[in-house]
Amino acid sequence: MAQLTAPEQKGLGPGFWPVTTALTVANAVISYFIVVLPIEKYLPEAAAPAGDIDWLFKFMSVIGNAIFVYVVGYMLYFCWVWRRRPSDAPDAIGIQVHDSPSLELWWTIIPSILVLLLAIFSVRIWINLQNSLGDVLTMEAIGQQFKYEFRYPRLKQPVFNDMHIPVGTPVTLHVTSSDVIHSFWVPEVRLKYDMVPGLVQTLRFTPEVIGKYRIICTEFCGTNHGNMVANLYIDSQQDFGRWIAGQFKAQGQTGGPLNLSAGQAAAGQQLFGEKCSTCHSVGPFTQKIVGPGLGHLTDDPAYPNLVTGKPVNAEDIAWILVNGYQGPDNSQGKAGPSIGIMPNRQANALSNKDIANLAAYLLSLK
Amino acid sequence: MAVAAAHAGAVGHHDHIHPEPEGFVAKYIFSLDAKVIGVQYMIAGLLFFIISGLLAEVVRIQLLTPGGAILKNDAYNGVYSLHASGMVWMVVIPMMTGGFGNYVMPLMIGARDVAFPWLNLTAFWMFPVAGVILFSSFLIGAPDAGWTEYPPISVQGPPGTTMWCIAIFLIGISSTLTGINFMVTIFKMRAPGMTFTRMPLFVWAQLATAMLNMIATTALAGALLALFLERVFDVPFYDPARGGSPLLWQHMFWFYSHPAVYIMILPAFGIISEVFPTFARKPIFGYKMIAFSSIAIALLGFMVWAHHMFTSGMAPWLQLPFMILTMVIAVPTGIKIFSWLATLWGGKIDFQPAMLFALGFLVVFTFGGITGIFLSAVPVDLHEHGTYFVVAHIHYVLFGGSIFGAFAGVYYWWPKMTGRMLDRKLGVWHFWTTFLSFNVTFLPMHWLGLLGMPRRVAQYRPEFQFWNDVCSIASFVLAASTLILFYNLATSLIRGKRAPANPWHARTLEWTVSSPPPYYNFKTIPAVLKNPYNFGEPLPYIGLTLAEEEEDRLPKPGPAVPAHS
Repeated sequence: MAQLTAPEQKGLGPGFWPVTTALTVANAVISYFIVVLPIEKYLPEAAAPAGDIDWLFKFMSVIGNAIFVYVVGYMLYFCWVWRRRPSDAPDAIGIQVHDSPSLELWWTIIPSILVLLLAIFSVRIWINLQNSLGDVLTMEAIGQQFKYEFRYPRLKQPVFNDMHIPVGTPVTLHVTSSDVIHSFWVPEVRLKYDMVPGLVQTLRFTPEVIGKYRIICTEFCGTNHGNMVANLYIDSQQDFGRWIAGQFKAQGQTGGPLNLSAGQAAAGQQLFGEKCSTCHSVGPFTQKIVGPGLGHLTDDPAYPNLVTGKPVNAEDIAWILVNGYQGPDNSQGKAGPSIGIMPNRQANALSNKDIANLAAYLLSLK
Repeated sequence: MAVAAAHAGAVGHHDHIHPEPEGFVAKYIFSLDAKVIGVQYMIAGLLFFIISGLLAEVVRIQLLTPGGAILKNDAYNGVYSLHASGMVWMVVIPMMTGGFGNYVMPLMIGARDVAFPWLNLTAFWMFPVAGVILFSSFLIGAPDAGWTEYPPISVQGPPGTTMWCIAIFLIGISSTLTGINFMVTIFKMRAPGMTFTRMPLFVWAQLATAMLNMIATTALAGALLALFLERVFDVPFYDPARGGSPLLWQHMFWFYSHPAVYIMILPAFGIISEVFPTFARKPIFGYKMIAFSSIAIALLGFMVWAHHMFTSGMAPWLQLPFMILTMVIAVPTGIKIFSWLATLWGGKIDFQPAMLFALGFLVVFTFGGITGIFLSAVPVDLHEHGTYFVVAHIHYVLFGGSIFGAFAGVYYWWPKMTGRMLDRKLGVWHFWTTFLSFNVTFLPMHWLGLLGMPRRVAQYRPEFQFWNDVCSIASFVLAASTLILFYNLATSLIRGKRAPANPWHARTLEWTVSSPPPYYNFKTIPAVLKNPYNFGEPLPYIGLTLAEEEEDRLPKPGPAVPAHS
């Protein structure tokens, strides 16, 4: 076999820099179109995290597009410039270069930086998905072959296949399943969690655009998996109020007026054991479990007020039970450190009667 | 010559050639020869490829209309489940390791066979048995929950699901055995002088794959055994009402199946790493980084399985390490892509069909890799998971990656295996029709998924019909394009041009023996002086003695070069 000689290396080859410039320009143009692409025109952004998630999607598209355009662009260009010509010997060889440590260092470092950036942005958006959104509608969705069941606070019977939520109110949605694994996906909200039997998962989002959207099952769940769909209605506050009132009425349930004077301490005591004692003791204020001890609201001179700073009476206790509380501890007459989160009545599923009973019970403690 | 003397001493008394077996059965059916077993893997794999491919066409016919064109839901669910199970376990995994690995790897390291030929024979025969069990599950009700078979639905699934468990369990044992066999072979049976940094990159890829096969498959076996026990004996491993957990399956399944995607892609990386230098007529760029990145990908591949489960239910904080480790895999994968790209620079690129498929691989695999990064970011995955976006991604990396790699391997090594050349023009036609129809088939699936089409559905919303029809029609062209390959293979066997020993002027050891090689591979085991990619230098092997019948067909090995590098 004759000794083959490699061609000499002269610079980066013909046209390298013009091609690099052209690819960079192409990248800039495509990136521009990615940035201005109105995703919401093709798929509405109906709830709060959708915009963030689309932003991350666009960010990745810009980076991904750059990588793809450079790799494929250089590939085609190299294939053209460094193709074998008919005049070449059948076993002609190319430039014998084995590696280039500095080049390899750069194409390790630059992707590492991009990955780091992507991880930082992803984590930031991820954190927002985890945070509680404050005063919320807390409800449940349960998947079953092949429909969705929705449970609202205090509404005794579930609603099937139509989920209504009021616009602007953050929703905390607990999802699970009563048979096999299903999934709860609303493309317009960009969120999805599997509904797994024996496990409760939580989605948090804030509906922003009134309309009718799709709830889709994305985990295979049996013969009719493809038809397991439901509707998500994001209603105005008034429409939602009318709808939920209609549901209560249809089920023969009425809320009843909040009549604090009718509260019964004995019934309140039982309810306290069921709903409150996980977080509150009946000891002095300082005997905390999660929240403060509630056994001496009326007779502890060190803590004359409620955490809201209001005096201890049925109305102001009921206000906390209705609205929940989050913020500084004002019980000593001045703003103290944050006291943590007391959930509202929807979260605790308290009826008007329950609230009256609890207030009566707490005032009876000495 | 000192090197030659050392070489003679190193080979010593172990180097003897067993007599060639006689009779058809011993030679071709229950052969112990890794090359014959490799071809057997390929024939069986090709049959299962045809079956699984036809099932894919049934899927695409069904999806021509929103209401489902031909099948009832249950039948359709069985079809796509077996399409995927077949392609993953009966085509890609056995073809890449059992097929190419068995045929090429021992030749590349200068060995006469694998370390444990009987183990090899056993592992092979589990494969067609498993394949027959898998596809005959159609007779009693095919498994319907996809290739992932998540319980509890798979516990309630049709009777065929039990056969699915048995078939996959068997093929799992088969790949574990092959993994052990290849690992020992690569560690203990390399020709004298072939240090790890002189190994061809295909061997590095097989080494990483063998490691994954050996370690990961046990988790799958455990999961399958538990599913089998729950289905047959009602042991509630996955039943939450009786103390089980559906997520147990997902963790064990993905602890195998994520490494399994690297089991499927790493050998393709290996093939590409051989094809690029040969046809660019250049050393592979960054040999050490490519070898190192194979191992890095294999190791990282064990720490990212739960990225398939971001929506499944796990402690939210646990999503973060899995997300970040998954993104980190982009770095070694990028190193490979950039190294292949740099290998093209300054070459004398010869666009043989093998090279075209390798270039096509580079394009579609880069694309599939990028969509993989999209899926790794939890917030974006919460939207994309379980949709056609995932279907598009897996086909870009599995079809565009593994199958394009396998096609490149077929065009590259076919002359070595059969002694016949393939028709180049048909190969070029095959490439362009496949490449174009592949992209038209799978590209629209990305936006179908993003706009709200879930996977594994027999019906879909009417507004998705246009793009589904585009996918379907292109998929028919894709199937037809594969017929060009089959025609090429068949005519090559019948009247193909005789292949010389080294038609591509390649430099790895398998090209120093005749095409096809004698059953003992090497008359004398050669000694290796350098890594194989130094084009223009004499071949870095000494002590290659040729059998008489080979001599006139072979290039003469050059004079020994000084041992360094």
